[in-house]
Amino acid sequence: MENAQLIGLSRQIALQRQMDVVAHNVANINTTGFKAEQILFEEYTMPVARDRTFPTMDQPLSYVQDWATIHDLSSGTAQQTGNDLDVAINGDGFFAVQTAAGERWTRAGSFGISNTGTLVDQSGNPVLGTGGPIQFGPEETGIAIGADGSISSSEGAKGRLRIVEFANAQELTREGQNLFAGGTPIAATRSQVMQGYVERSNVSGVAEMAELIRVTRAYESIASLTSKQDDLRRTAIQRLGDANA
Amino acid sequence: MKALYIASTGMSAQERNVEVISNNIANMRTTGFKRQRAEFQDLLYQQVTRAGAQTSDQGSQVPAGLEIGSGVRTVSTPRVMSQGTVSMTERELDVAIRGEGFFQIQLPDGRTAYTRDGSFERSAEGTLVNSVGYTVDPGITVPGDARGISIAPDGTVEAFIGTDSAPTQLGQLQLARFTNKSGLESMGDNLFLETAASGAPQVGVPNSDGTGDLLQNYLEMANVNSVTEIADLIAAQRAYEMNARVISGADQMMQATSQLR
Repeated sequence: MENAQLIGLSRQIALQRQMDVVAHNVANINTTGFKAEQILFEEYTMPVARDRTFPTMDQPLSYVQDWATIHDLSSGTAQQTGNDLDVAINGDGFFAVQTAAGERWTRAGSFGISNTGTLVDQSGNPVLGTGGPIQFGPEETGIAIGADGSISSSEGAKGRLRIVEFANAQELTREGQNLFAGGTPIAATRSQVMQGYVERSNVSGVAEMAELIRVTRAYESIASLTSKQDDLRRTAIQRLGDANA
Repeated sequence: MKALYIASTGMSAQERNVEVISNNIANMRTTGFKRQRAEFQDLLYQQVTRAGAQTSDQGSQVPAGLEIGSGVRTVSTPRVMSQGTVSMTERELDVAIRGEGFFQIQLPDGRTAYTRDGSFERSAEGTLVNSVGYTVDPGITVPGDARGISIAPDGTVEAFIGTDSAPTQLGQLQLARFTNKSGLESMGDNLFLETAASGAPQVGVPNSDGTGDLLQNYLEMANVNSVTEIADLIAAQRAYEMNARVISGADQMMQATSQLR
């Protein structure tokens, strides 16, 4: 009798998680280089004790389980900013940045220059070139970044941005601060960079709102199922417990 | 419900965004103003299942993890230090910088501030001051009987004194450059202050070592582009509304729960 309620509960918990994912996507709708998350569910078939005494066999119970969140890695819109140090990637690549915990990957290409002249991201992590961090001298002007990531200034060539790609980008984990970790980086072959642009978040407001409505409705229908179950049980107890029965 | 808190971080981030945009629009006609842009970052993730966790003795692994994010935060409002358009004013003490660098302004408390606003005036003593009356550094005094003041692209200030037929050099304006000019602190009044993030100023004469040259009779306008700002404003407003919609969705779910008997 309680199975239906427990199954409903597994769905409700999964829906709450899905709501969290929707909320997180919407919250980051204006975050540079943000990639939307999608949550995947799978059926979990409960192994039940079987008995052949009854004419029909016990049916397996299926619960729902949230299984994974995947990254929607489609490109966000490139927005022109006119800032020399804003770089967007056209393709599947990621920028490499050096953090205290090791190398991390990001699509948020709104960079700056630190007080020591190093190219850094908005958290102050050095952005890596093919030969380590990229350094600018105090007198340099006219920083230009080519489509292949090569950087030059009034002082000549300054190196090349390290752009990495992944055979399976789904294995990357998110760290917050627009950073991804893990994976096996390979040198980029299908990516080009655009100077003076930043990549906007790829969250689609319309899709998220549709998802939001679907989630709330599904949640409500499970809630109503739960209360119907409860009614059913109460009525059963009342009828069975009635002295006149 | 985590979604409620996540959406509230989204709403406050968009509120910040609108504040930054409205400040840009408010300063559209401010001489030497540099627009700001709000930059956001996603917050920490709760790792429910780690990608790569082993699922069987045969070594099969979870191909993708289950990560629930916790919202957004405003990380910085970097200034876009691109050149503003120069507009002709026909005032001999209006100077625009074409290229890199800032004028140095001596604050009354002894500190030095930096500005791109070159609308200078003469004080009662003839000293070159900015529009609030702070002295331009290095100090240049223009005698009362000076006429035909000229400011050369390299900052040399000359004028004809009295009835002289040859100009007298009154001084030379200098420009300060910073390694990280986005790291300067804004103090209002079109002035910036040096910070640990900006690095120390490198002072030099205009038109040398990467500094820009000066343009007399011109002022640098704000680098605010109204079309971009309005587009950003619309995007921010819609994002705010969507976050509010998430809050009411989460509330609806909580209501469904609380109405259970």
